Amino acid sequence: MNPLILTIILMTVFLGTMIVMASSHWLMIWIGFEMNLLAIIPILMKKYSPRAMEASTKYFLTQATASMLLMMAIIINLMHSGQWTITKVFNPTASIIMTLALAMKLGLTPFHFWVPEVTQGISLTSGLILLTWQKLAPMSILYQISPSINLNILLTMAVLSILVGGWGGLNQTQLRKIMAYSSIAHMGWMTAILVYNPTLTMLNMLIYIMMTLTMFMLFIHSSSTTTLSLSHTWNKAPLITTLILITLLSMGGLPPLSGFMPKWMIIQELTKNSSIILPTLMAIMALLNLYFYTRLTYSTSLTMFPSTNNMKMKWQFETKQITLLPPLIIASSLLLPLTPMLSILD
Amino acid sequence: MLKIIIPTIMLMPLTWLSKKNMIWINTTTYSLLISLISLSLLNQPNNNSLNFSLMFFSDPLSAPLLVLTTWLLPLMLMASQHHLSKEPLIRKKLYITMLAMLQTFLIMTFTATELISFYILFEATLVPTLIIITRWGNQTERLNAGLYFLFYTLVGSLPLLVALISIQSLTGSLHFLLIQYWNQALPDSWSNIFLWLACMMAFMVKMPLYGLHLWLPKAHVEAPIAGSMVLAAILLKLGGYGMLRITMMLNPQTNFMAYPFLMLSLWGMIMTSSICLRQTDLKSLIAYSSVSHMALVIVAVLIQTPWSYMGATALMIAHGLTSSMLFCLANSNYERTHSRTMILARGLQTLLPLMAAWWLLASLTNLALPPSINLIGELFVVMSSFSWSNITIILMGANITITALYSLYMLITTQRGKYTHHINSIKPSFTRENALMALHMTPLLLLSLNPKIILGFTY
Repeated sequence: MNPLILTIILMTVFLGTMIVMASSHWLMIWIGFEMNLLAIIPILMKKYSPRAMEASTKYFLTQATASMLLMMAIIINLMHSGQWTITKVFNPTASIIMTLALAMKLGLTPFHFWVPEVTQGISLTSGLILLTWQKLAPMSILYQISPSINLNILLTMAVLSILVGGWGGLNQTQLRKIMAYSSIAHMGWMTAILVYNPTLTMLNMLIYIMMTLTMFMLFIHSSSTTTLSLSHTWNKAPLITTLILITLLSMGGLPPLSGFMPKWMIIQELTKNSSIILPTLMAIMALLNLYFYTRLTYSTSLTMFPSTNNMKMKWQFETKQITLLPPLIIASSLLLPLTPMLSILD
Repeated sequence: MLKIIIPTIMLMPLTWLSKKNMIWINTTTYSLLISLISLSLLNQPNNNSLNFSLMFFSDPLSAPLLVLTTWLLPLMLMASQHHLSKEPLIRKKLYITMLAMLQTFLIMTFTATELISFYILFEATLVPTLIIITRWGNQTERLNAGLYFLFYTLVGSLPLLVALISIQSLTGSLHFLLIQYWNQALPDSWSNIFLWLACMMAFMVKMPLYGLHLWLPKAHVEAPIAGSMVLAAILLKLGGYGMLRITMMLNPQTNFMAYPFLMLSLWGMIMTSSICLRQTDLKSLIAYSSVSHMALVIVAVLIQTPWSYMGATALMIAHGLTSSMLFCLANSNYERTHSRTMILARGLQTLLPLMAAWWLLASLTNLALPPSINLIGELFVVMSSFSWSNITIILMGANITITALYSLYMLITTQRGKYTHHINSIKPSFTRENALMALHMTPLLLLSLNPKIILGFTY
């Protein structure tokens, strides 16, 4: 794509999200979402193929529906409160519709069906933007309306998301679909704690973005989109296999890596609010996620997967540059000892 | 405690910066020096704990386990030299780094004061062990073994995390120094029964309890020698140590909640000992014997009498040294014949007489011959369980007999009889191997002179 056009489009995506996060007028938030959606369609279509068209169409339709639902909730809120300022939404109907609309944008169950299919149809870089940047805007709105969200609906969606994210990923060999199901499960964790302590939602979002960025960067570096092609990494760049191991175990939530921190904090907040069965259930279901990450490490890092002799020649081609990999690796694996710093967020 | 932790962490830069011909020498020497430092912790003047800081402490229960942990690292490094000799340098360094990382986490686990910190480090020991088993094991079954190991332990321990956090939100702190003074009886309710279960299941899986022991034969057999040594000697004891610490808070539910686990342990020790008589795989035999000995520890911890606590602690240390030595002996066979089948390497006494002496000593301590500390541990456990209920003497007596049977079976099959013609070209014992066995056996024999060090905090 022409670099100037790409810059303009990326700027529009960025501007859209910024407008959503910084506005206090509901209409501007809706405009921000629409700007974001329209600008990201060309990004999703970067490699022009029927599959990418299908993915972009699915993304557009679901996000547009969600935006319309959001608009309806805004209008109902306007009717009942008489003002456009973004505050907690007092009317329960508007609150429920808004929660459902934002869940559709995030990809929470039962609105998760678009996430694997869209992520699979687009290139790795577009998938990266889809799974990390696009989650910021809806999450910021959820954060702002969090005092008024109906707890039952949100917790049901969260727990179902963790279940679906765990079980759905079990049968996948395509890396983008694995990352999509991982995203669904992590969104579930994030929204579960939203009503009790929204700061932890933001913490989980931060750590999740770090880990997902790292994973995608490592996939882009080895140009691999299936488990099989990822298993050839030990031929090309053995260090990358170690990094993949660490990041995957961190995404699974194993101590002492930093992926454990959000899970621990979320379990702590939920337990302090006297729900015991829920965090136990969520923690056990997160083990399903850990299973398919471990399976991925088995084929990539912990065994020298069988490969033909052609694979050993790949190192001769010019290596792709991975942006910012060292800080990302540190952020996605070594941040657990910094947990006491969370007290500054109060 | 930093005087032990920081040198252990620094073992990792030591391996990466050492020259190719110095990696084993450097790491073994320095880990031996670290174990010398940790010996000073055995000086426990009274039953109370020695508090080094707000985060680390040592008391008569954790000090012997800590000394065992630091003693085993040089032994693990010595045992691994042969099977890693053909690997590229970076992979050797990675292996040693994994061992040093595991050692750091283990030291911090045994000396942690805050229970959540104990939990995080307990879980943290899983990652290096998984990598050691899965990356450096020898057969394809190691993948399955790693999965079983990881998931059995995690499913047991995630409810423990929730339980610890809920206890913390109720009592305000999980620091050992505070809990021992705040201790009050848990009120009787269904949710406290589930709290008891949540707290104990993690350690039951780790010990392992008879019904949850499936991961252990897989993991022990598929792991390389250092992995087997650390698994058998120390990681199992993490379960025992955790149980000894956490049962302090769980009265009076333990009085009735312990029954199913006592039954499983009492029956399980007989079952796993009997299975040992039918094993063809040498490492598998030693793995099942570990399950059997640990079942005795579970019985001792759940009975909660002063004598049984003494027996549990002594048995943990004794079994750690014995089991690790047996795995080293099995590994010396494996390195020569590349097979773990017992009958393929029989009649070794004729070919390797000094190693036969070590086999004899290891088997004798495994069957708890007086005056070894194995006997002290088992005897205390048998006596205290007899006082708890007279009938257990039948099961305990049967267990001691069957233990003797399979230990002698293992000894006689591998050492006595006529050797086979296909092993008369094996290499003689290396000095390294003899040193390894001597370093296992010497503490074991010396401790029988002064067992009060390992008798724990109820002495």
